[in-house]
Amino acid sequence: MPQSLSLSAAAGPKRPSEWLRALFRRNEIALLLSLVALIVFFSLASDSFLTTRNITNVLGQASLAMVAGIGVGVLVISGEIDVSIGSLAGAVGIPLVVIMNMTGSLELGIAGALLLALCVGVVNGFLAAYIGINSLIVTLGSMFVIRGAVYLYTGQKAIPDDLMLESFYQIGNGRLFGAISYPALVAIVLLSAFIYLMRHRPFGRKLYAVGGNPEVARLAGYDVKRVKFIAFVICSLLAGISGILLSSRLGSAVHVAGLGFEFQVVAAVVLGGVSLAGGIGSLFGVALGVLILSFLANGLGMLNIATEWQLVTTGLIIIAAVAFDELKRRAK
Amino acid sequence: MHADATIDEPAVATIDPAMEMTGIGKRFPGVLALENVGLTLEPGKVHALMGENGAGKSTLIKILAGVYQKDAGAIRIGGVETDLRSPRDALRQGIKVVFQEIALISEFTVAENIFIEEYPVNGVGSISWKTIRRDAAALFERIGFNVDPAAKVGDLPVSQQQMVEIARALAHEARIVVMDEPTSSLTPNEVALLFGVIRRLASLGIAVVYVSHKLDEIFEIADTVTVLRDGRRISTKPVGEHTHDSLIQDMIGRRIENLFPRSRGVARDDVVVKVEGLSTDSKLKDVSFEARAGEVLGFFGLMGAGRTELAKAIVGYDPIKTGRITIAGQPLSPHNTRTGVSLGIGLLSEDRKTEGLMLELPVLQNASLASLEQFARAGFVDEKREKSAVQAFVDRFRIKTPGLGQQIKNLSGGNQQKVLLARWLMRGLKVIVVDEPTRGIDVGAKSEIFALIDQLAAQGLAVIMMTSEMPELLGLSDRIAVMAEGRITATMSRDDATQEKILNAAIA
Repeated sequence: MPQSLSLSAAAGPKRPSEWLRALFRRNEIALLLSLVALIVFFSLASDSFLTTRNITNVLGQASLAMVAGIGVGVLVISGEIDVSIGSLAGAVGIPLVVIMNMTGSLELGIAGALLLALCVGVVNGFLAAYIGINSLIVTLGSMFVIRGAVYLYTGQKAIPDDLMLESFYQIGNGRLFGAISYPALVAIVLLSAFIYLMRHRPFGRKLYAVGGNPEVARLAGYDVKRVKFIAFVICSLLAGISGILLSSRLGSAVHVAGLGFEFQVVAAVVLGGVSLAGGIGSLFGVALGVLILSFLANGLGMLNIATEWQLVTTGLIIIAAVAFDELKRRAK
Repeated sequence: MHADATIDEPAVATIDPAMEMTGIGKRFPGVLALENVGLTLEPGKVHALMGENGAGKSTLIKILAGVYQKDAGAIRIGGVETDLRSPRDALRQGIKVVFQEIALISEFTVAENIFIEEYPVNGVGSISWKTIRRDAAALFERIGFNVDPAAKVGDLPVSQQQMVEIARALAHEARIVVMDEPTSSLTPNEVALLFGVIRRLASLGIAVVYVSHKLDEIFEIADTVTVLRDGRRISTKPVGEHTHDSLIQDMIGRRIENLFPRSRGVARDDVVVKVEGLSTDSKLKDVSFEARAGEVLGFFGLMGAGRTELAKAIVGYDPIKTGRITIAGQPLSPHNTRTGVSLGIGLLSEDRKTEGLMLELPVLQNASLASLEQFARAGFVDEKREKSAVQAFVDRFRIKTPGLGQQIKNLSGGNQQKVLLARWLMRGLKVIVVDEPTRGIDVGAKSEIFALIDQLAAQGLAVIMMTSEMPELLGLSDRIAVMAEGRITATMSRDDATQEKILNAAIA
């Protein structure tokens, strides 16, 4: 019999009061609480943790993972994945520094770096979305290809910034009004823009639809391949931006820059509640996932816990968080 | 552009015909799905499309929706020849299709799902959620559907999801609205509402295609009926020129009796399957029954009644909450398929493609999957024995395949189904549960599947058959159990069963 159902929705944008309730039901609140608990714990356990200098330092590092994490988050929500972002973030330093050294222009260097990122995104996206090769395989391949090319080009040595451009130093290390670091600013601006995109632009909703159920999306008239292709390009461009900031912080193009970065980022995205199956998750969650992992690594370091145990702890936390999520979903 | 504009004004001026398909042909590997089919839709008319499963209705609709591309023929819309190369093309032409399988994003709200084809946006291109909520609520109110626009679609029961799908087709301007068995999970009240909506659409000059095999609905709502059979058009007539009998005659084209060969005698007395007080979290409530060696026990129910859930629970595939299942005197415990198979119960799933076949693998491996231990020697599969065992079944079941190495996806539905039956019989089963055994199989092959099921029972297997097809149920079963909302609402012998009795129990 027809009956009116007063299920308050668990997903999708809605009125502010319901929005708050929906938030509670999702992961974000649990993540936020975990983050606060983590910060409180480390503040009590270590004197040097809750200092301006340390917190700024953590946020600076988190910014790079955040920028890349937004891109990976967008791509995973669309039902695909990219593990080549670490290699790419390292590789963009080369055109950046080489062009800068040749022309003395930071802008041209950045343009070259972004062009490389764009090319990688187009190739990944074309192979995965249009040719239909599994995206893990495609990007695993490009991860090796890019890293190998970097080693070949650099002869396994860093390429220094010969001109010691002040502007190049500033983008990774400078602060706006002496307060907020440029990488943090970039991360916040991009995060806000992409949260808006994912919630309030038709394209953002298409990403969710395509990841949630590609067949339904196709029936609704979406060009599923094109949507996924664009998600690959977004992901690579953001990894490129992250790599530019990284290169500035390192002061050169370092051939091993970004090694293992892809897995840190994917771990943060998954911890942030994005389903690897696609269609579920939020970029706010991704941001929290990044912050949790960054503060965790920093705090464990502060407590003089050996790197080996830091790795073990991080791994266990990721598995526990995702297992908890899965059990919660099943209980429903 | 949005809901307000749709139902209140005609979408197009009356040009005739709204759409014309001529000489449409479509071939899939191993099956000729459509051959030289024509269909003409007039604005403001309800055109019913009828035929048995496998007659080609779904294929024709999917061509109209841009999901499949025709191999032959022409489509003219509003007099202009058009190629519908993708669903997007079809939507642009104002063709809205309500598919039988729910095509909604389950993580989205009802309101958002209504508008995913075209989000209303404000001046700067942001989605106007206010408009979406308001228009969805207004749309539901206008057509009298009682669904909460803020609910997440995945949380709704199937019947409400179906209403959301129907509503979505009306949210934007439409020239042609196609409904593929829209009433399969609706209640009588909801069906009445739907018919009101359809009449209104027609009065606005929209051409409606209505696919169903419920005769009463056709006589109530349709102006014209086209009957398809085996991928060909059999007739197109005003509904007034048809009687129940003439429609059935066109659909079936032969006497029902011939479809159901019967070689077996009376069922034996030994109970092979005993189910007592079975309940699951998903659906089933206190289900009890017995099945005997040598009989076909048919379960009937409307969509959502719990047939598939029952099938999956009794073979150990889905977990159960309470109750006892006994196979040939042994309890099915622990409750999993490994125990099930070792006790001799197997499932022929309704969903051949995802739960039965390994599409990319050859016939050989698909057939031998459940019995590899039998062919093993020192832990390695003896390919010679495997091949000869599978070949024996290919011969016995007359499976049409170029060879054992043929990828199973290239076989027709009927032959795929036979391979799956072989998989279980090779194993030596006592009970086989078949769920919608002839879904997506053309009529000719159906009778071969029926003959096989009959033979299995004749050899002493207990066959438990889940079906939504009345002729299949009545033609094949020795006893019939009817389900509704997860319970068995009636049990009757073949001789006592009538369509009316069965339907009454199914609607209860």
